[in-house]
Amino acid sequence: MGLGLVRRSPRGDSVRAVEGTGVTSDELKGLMAAVAQNRDRAAYGRLFQYFAPRIVGFMERNGVSGTDAEEIAQDTMVTVWRKAELYDPAQAAVSTWIFTIARNLRVDMARRATRQRNGAAAMGEPEIELVESAETQTLAVERENKVREALTKLSREQATVLRLSFFSEKPHAEIARELGIPLGTVKSRVRLAMAKIRPLLESER
Amino acid sequence: MTLHHPYDDTLARYAAGRLGAGPRLVVGTHLHSCAECRARVGLFECVGGALLDEAPVAAVRPDLFAETLKRIEGLDAAPAPARMRAAPVSPLDGIKMPPWRSLAGFQWRRLTLPYAPDANVIMLKVAPGQKMPHHTHRGVEYTQILQGAFHDDFGRYVAGDCVEADEEVDHQPMVDSDVECICLAAFDGNLRLRGFIGRMAQPFLGL
Repeated sequence: MGLGLVRRSPRGDSVRAVEGTGVTSDELKGLMAAVAQNRDRAAYGRLFQYFAPRIVGFMERNGVSGTDAEEIAQDTMVTVWRKAELYDPAQAAVSTWIFTIARNLRVDMARRATRQRNGAAAMGEPEIELVESAETQTLAVERENKVREALTKLSREQATVLRLSFFSEKPHAEIARELGIPLGTVKSRVRLAMAKIRPLLESER
Repeated sequence: MTLHHPYDDTLARYAAGRLGAGPRLVVGTHLHSCAECRARVGLFECVGGALLDEAPVAAVRPDLFAETLKRIEGLDAAPAPARMRAAPVSPLDGIKMPPWRSLAGFQWRRLTLPYAPDANVIMLKVAPGQKMPHHTHRGVEYTQILQGAFHDDFGRYVAGDCVEADEEVDHQPMVDSDVECICLAAFDGNLRLRGFIGRMAQPFLGL
């Protein structure tokens, strides 16, 4: 069980999605390598088949409309094709890399909408590149596995507040009102959830 | 030595792309100089990747893949991007710095983010020994100290530190460095200045 998300999935199983779909993290990396090195369209098709519906599902849960979610999914997959060579399997899981692309595109889309309302000139935000230390990079794969394992150990309550802090733009006060619990409880649940994830980082030092 | 960092949930929101443009700029400026927090953001991006794996498999319109293939058609000839990483730029680079304006013993300027003109972002410059305006907050105030140091009832903050203050914080920071203290601050909500001078200053700051 992870983060209380799979419980709502139509498949109804509690197996991690990567395994549940018969696609492993290593297979995704293999498909990325085929796209990067050989511009392999069949491999790209399988990546699309795996990620596009999940990006749409992820975005819809974020409150993005179906049409916009499909646009983000398509733009994300076009970026995957264009930047495939920049993906470094030693640094992150394919899902993590694609998550960051989709996230940036969602932020851009929200800003375009604001600018159109204000009639302001289009202008992009310089992308902040997070350069990890070499030490962090070598352990990145292990970190991915540990994060996934830690997520399965969260209580339902911790999972809910962690998910809300990821999926919703609401401040904690509003999350508290929505869940009908005191603000202090929201904060302590976030802290407890973080406390299960954070040791993963400390152990890398 | 950086002692004060953004909270974990703030870094999680940063990683999730869920911080407003102003706070994102302040936290991004902190990340530029703080490897520890960059690693923490990396961790939360892994969480994002795991959430994507677990996301519901939505039905997409049948022609989405064919359309995408058409879009990548012309991209095949594109030269391979350089693998070399450019030196990371500070998110403050490229933002216009208007001249400082003086008000009630401190200097300030409001930054306009071209990609988010509504964001409340200011820079404050306060001389050694000077007090900053006494204020409380509606929402959260994110402050990155760019130069100098100050203290309030809760602690001491030096260049490189990032401080978050919410509605429970009512403070009047005092600059105690030898040099002027320069801070970058952004607000999720409205800042409420206290005292006569503060109330006078508020409309000028556009807050």
